[in-house]
Amino acid sequence: MPEPGRRKWQCRTCSEIYDEAAGLPEYGIAPGTRFEELPDDWVCPMCGTPKSDFDLVAD
Amino acid sequence: MAPTIPTELIAPAFNPATFGKRGAVHEIFRQLRRDYPLAVAEVPGFDPHWIVTRHADLREITRQDRIFHSSDRSKTLASQLAEQLMRQYTGGAPHIFKTLVHMDEPEHTAYRQVTQPQFMPQALEKLDGRLRETARRHVDRMATLGDRCDFATDVAFPYPLEVILDLIGIPRPDHARMLRLTQWLFSYADPDLCRPGASIADPGEIIETWNIVYNEFKEYYDAVIRDRRACPRDDVASLIANGKVNGCPMDERAMISYYVIASTAGHDTTSATTATAMWVLAEDPELLDKLKANPGLVPGFVEESIRWATPVQQFVRSAAEDYVLRGQQIKQGDLLYLSYVSANRDEEVFDDPYEFRPERAPNRHIGFGYGGHVCLGQHLARREMRAFWEELIPRLQSVEMADEGRMTESEFVCGPKSVPIRFQMN
Repeated sequence: MPEPGRRKWQCRTCSEIYDEAAGLPEYGIAPGTRFEELPDDWVCPMCGTPKSDFDLVAD
Repeated sequence: MAPTIPTELIAPAFNPATFGKRGAVHEIFRQLRRDYPLAVAEVPGFDPHWIVTRHADLREITRQDRIFHSSDRSKTLASQLAEQLMRQYTGGAPHIFKTLVHMDEPEHTAYRQVTQPQFMPQALEKLDGRLRETARRHVDRMATLGDRCDFATDVAFPYPLEVILDLIGIPRPDHARMLRLTQWLFSYADPDLCRPGASIADPGEIIETWNIVYNEFKEYYDAVIRDRRACPRDDVASLIANGKVNGCPMDERAMISYYVIASTAGHDTTSATTATAMWVLAEDPELLDKLKANPGLVPGFVEESIRWATPVQQFVRSAAEDYVLRGQQIKQGDLLYLSYVSANRDEEVFDDPYEFRPERAPNRHIGFGYGGHVCLGQHLARREMRAFWEELIPRLQSVEMADEGRMTESEFVCGPKSVPIRFQMN
C-alpha cells in the first residue's frame, strides 16, 4: 500500500517514476523524501531530464 | 590543436570484423580512455570524427540535443562513400531511415509522442500477464530442446521478437521475415547474417543493404498501413498508421522508418542482451547459484547484463555550434562518435568495470542512451527480460558453454550470434 500523502512523479522524457515513498536510496535519496525536497538541480537519474520536467502522476 | 589518435589504434574500431572479437574492442577503448579520452580519428575514407569515450562526456553531449544534432549527418558511423550513397538514394537526405533516432527537436518529440503512451510503465503494467505467459512459453520450449541448444538462435532471438511484433500487430507467420530483415540491417557485414549476395568487402555495401531493407519494409508496411487506416486495431501498427504529427500526417519515409525501428531495434538489442547474459551465466556457475538463492537479484542481473552487453556500440552527432568539451574546442560541424561500449566500461564511473556484478547499485550504465533520445522501449525491454529470467532461473539446474560463443561482426548493433550451451532444467 502506498504511504498516505506520498506521491509519484514521472519524467516527461523517459517515463521514469520518482516515488516519494520509495525515494532513491541507491542515489542517496531516503524513502519518504518529497519531490519538493529534491535539490533544484536534481535531474532524472535515467536520462538527465531536469526536475522541472516531471509531472505529478494522478492516482 | 586537437589531439589525434594514431590510425593503427582507431582504424580497427571502424571495421565491423573487429567487433566479432569482443576482447579486441574493449582493449581499443580501454587504451583510448587512458591515452586519448577525447581525440580525433582520421581514418582514410571517413571524415574526421571526435571519438568520445568517457561516460561523463557522452552524458554531457546527449543531454544537449539542441547543440549536438542527430539529423544533419549520418547518425551512425559512415564512410564518405556511404554518406554520398545515402544522399543519392534519398534525393539528398543524410539517412536512409528517418527514425526517432535520426530526428532533432521539435520534430523528434512530436513523432515520439505518437507511440510514447504505449511504452510507459502504466501501459506496460497491463501487459504483464501476457508478457509472463510469453516468457513461460519460451522457457517451456527451451526445456524441450534436450540438454543442448544454441541459446542465441533458439531462445534469445525468438522471444523478444515475438514480444514486440505481437505488440505492433504483426502476424506470427511473418516474424521470421522481420528477423531476417533485422539481421540484414544490423549485421550487413557479418558473413553468417548478412543479406544473401551482399559484397561485404564493398564499402558501399552498408547503404546498398540498407536501401534494400528500407524498400522491403516499405513493401510490407504499406499494406499494413492501408489495413490499419481502414480498420484500426488495438496495436502499435494502428497508432503509427493513424498518427498525426502537429495535426498533419507523417512524412512517408518517417512513417515507414517508425515501423522499421520498432520491428528491428525493438527486439535485436534485447536479444543481444539476453544472449549475453546467458553467456555470462554459462561461464560462472556461482552466479546461477547466487540468483537461485536470491531471486531479488534478477533486476540487478538484468541491469548489469545491459551494461555488459551494450548492444548499440555507437551513435554519431554533429555539433551545431562551437562547444568546449573536456577542455577541447569542438567546432561547429564537427562529427562526434559516441562510444557507448566505452562509456559503460568507464573506470571513473564503474568500480571494476570488467567484472559482472548484479549487485551494482546504482548501475549508471547508459545502454539505453541518455537525454531526449533515451530508448523509448527501455521499460518494455526491462520487463520482458525480468519476466524471462524469473521464469527460467528457478528451473535452470546447471548451464555451461558447450562450444565457443561467437559475436556478430557489426560496428553498430552488436551481440552474440551463437551461444552454444549444455544445460539441465526441470
